[in-house]
Amino acid sequence: MKRNLLYIIASLLLFSSCNKYVADFKTARCSNPQQNFKYSKAAELESALDELVQKGVPGVVLAVQSDEGYWATAKGYARIEDKTPMQLCHLQYLQSISKTYLAIAILRLHEEGKIDLDESITKHLPHQYHHYISGAEKVTVRMLLNHTSGIPEYNFLPAYVSYLLQHPTHYFQPEDYLKYLDGKKLVFTPGSKHVYTNTNYVILSMIADSISGDHAKLIAEVIFKPLGLTTTFYRNDPGYLKYPEIVNSYWDRYSDGVIENASVLQRMNVSTLVGDDGIVTTPVDAIKFLKGLAEGKLLCDSTMRQMKTWVNDSKGEKIYGLGLVYRMINGFEAYGHSGGGIGAGCELYYFPEKHLYYFVALNLGTVTDSPLHSELLRIRDKLYDIMLK
Amino acid sequence: MKKNFLLVGVCLAVFVRSDGQDKVNKSYRNFPVIITIQFHSLTLPFRDFKSNFSNVGFGVGTEVSFNGKRDWVQQFSATLNRNQTIGNGVLFSTQTVWRPTIVDQFYGEIKAGVGYNYCLRPVESYRPENGKWVTVGNKGKGMFTLLGGASAGYDNYSSSAYISPFVSYQFMVLKGYNKSFPIVPETVLQAGSRVHF
Repeated sequence: MKRNLLYIIASLLLFSSCNKYVADFKTARCSNPQQNFKYSKAAELESALDELVQKGVPGVVLAVQSDEGYWATAKGYARIEDKTPMQLCHLQYLQSISKTYLAIAILRLHEEGKIDLDESITKHLPHQYHHYISGAEKVTVRMLLNHTSGIPEYNFLPAYVSYLLQHPTHYFQPEDYLKYLDGKKLVFTPGSKHVYTNTNYVILSMIADSISGDHAKLIAEVIFKPLGLTTTFYRNDPGYLKYPEIVNSYWDRYSDGVIENASVLQRMNVSTLVGDDGIVTTPVDAIKFLKGLAEGKLLCDSTMRQMKTWVNDSKGEKIYGLGLVYRMINGFEAYGHSGGGIGAGCELYYFPEKHLYYFVALNLGTVTDSPLHSELLRIRDKLYDIMLK
Repeated sequence: MKKNFLLVGVCLAVFVRSDGQDKVNKSYRNFPVIITIQFHSLTLPFRDFKSNFSNVGFGVGTEVSFNGKRDWVQQFSATLNRNQTIGNGVLFSTQTVWRPTIVDQFYGEIKAGVGYNYCLRPVESYRPENGKWVTVGNKGKGMFTLLGGASAGYDNYSSSAYISPFVSYQFMVLKGYNKSFPIVPETVLQAGSRVHF
């Protein structure tokens, strides 16, 4: 009897000892792209980034495209455990910057006459999906694009977050995100105000799927191929987030300035996100993308004007277009997007007056607060000061 | 969630015999040893039941009666929550327990209390120090915890040593998990026994 009990207990312990949170994801050392250009602000920017990694960011990359040309640098570690240095050839998570890519794909469908931005989403989203969304018939495609739909956010629902943390390797299907919204009312009258939610872009990806068959292929077709983005990946193969050049990811679970390797959670989470996230890229490709968009290589002028038609925030200030964030930084207009996830954070913006594009990416999670972030924000502002002076 | 709690409460109320209080064994002995085996999960109550059958841990505790009977007691326990996906933890808690008789020697329980939960990280972690990354092992964090739950068990009093098995479903709210998620829900499914010496 006692022996049987011991067997049972031992079996249970053995069964429960498999830690799905841990995996040994090495980040490969790779060949950096050739840089034959000396940027006049390089020394100051390098110094600021050195300070950033000193203060508690594992690794960072920065790329700048200005009238002086293209310049980029990498600091810190792509993986702390074996001190793999961060390199410019490493793949960075774009997180919510992916929304800009999807918005362009949707706008291309609009240019081809396959989607009317001001029609209800129920026209394009199959009933099997839109029945989860209360008041879906009042929501238009444009409202999804500029976050004025009033559809609730799935990303911060306790049921979703707790399930994600307890099951880091669970593969969520797009419909699973909508199931979390089942029975929930719109949080405001559609079109009446702007509230940023990831849900809007999950739905847009499903709309793009229903029209084109596969929104990931559509994005590759209308963006990656014409711009020659050879180191940008999104659902091109099931294992695209296992590419050896992908950086390891870290997060501060308890907001106490201590970080842990969250690569398993990050990779699995990003691999299941659709439309609102999911793209990985190199700094050079990130800049090429935004430059291509700003130079009119992706959308026609009238569509670009719609994309840059800004809705206001609660203070009455311009905040968001169709997949583009509007910001005023040091008195200069900028548009692009920011991204934050469990194990990464990034910004990609264009300053038209300065003819300046910049991309910065970290392998430290920015979606949950950390005391490490206060230094991060201060040094980011320092980067703005240097780049924009 | 509220509905489920109400349902549990109503069921207990219906099944508690009206003369249950009188039937309570008055020869209750304080300070039994409570031993539990438990399954821990980071989940909202009454969700993700599959997870409630993984992450095995153990607990020990005791209890003392308020009135010399078994129906109102204060429990004290220390439990090891083994959950390698989110990090193992140790919970020290105390709960006030209402334990009405349902039928004969079978009883129900509703309990609530507070605790201190020290949760480790699931992997080796690092903190920045003078520009370098210093390992801090699986360094964890202590959190104030609110607990509540329902149980059912069997208690057949004997003047000699006897055991009283039970099963319990507990819901916990951890305060201060991080700044973005200031409270986090966890559940524990327990099976165990009080050993009255």
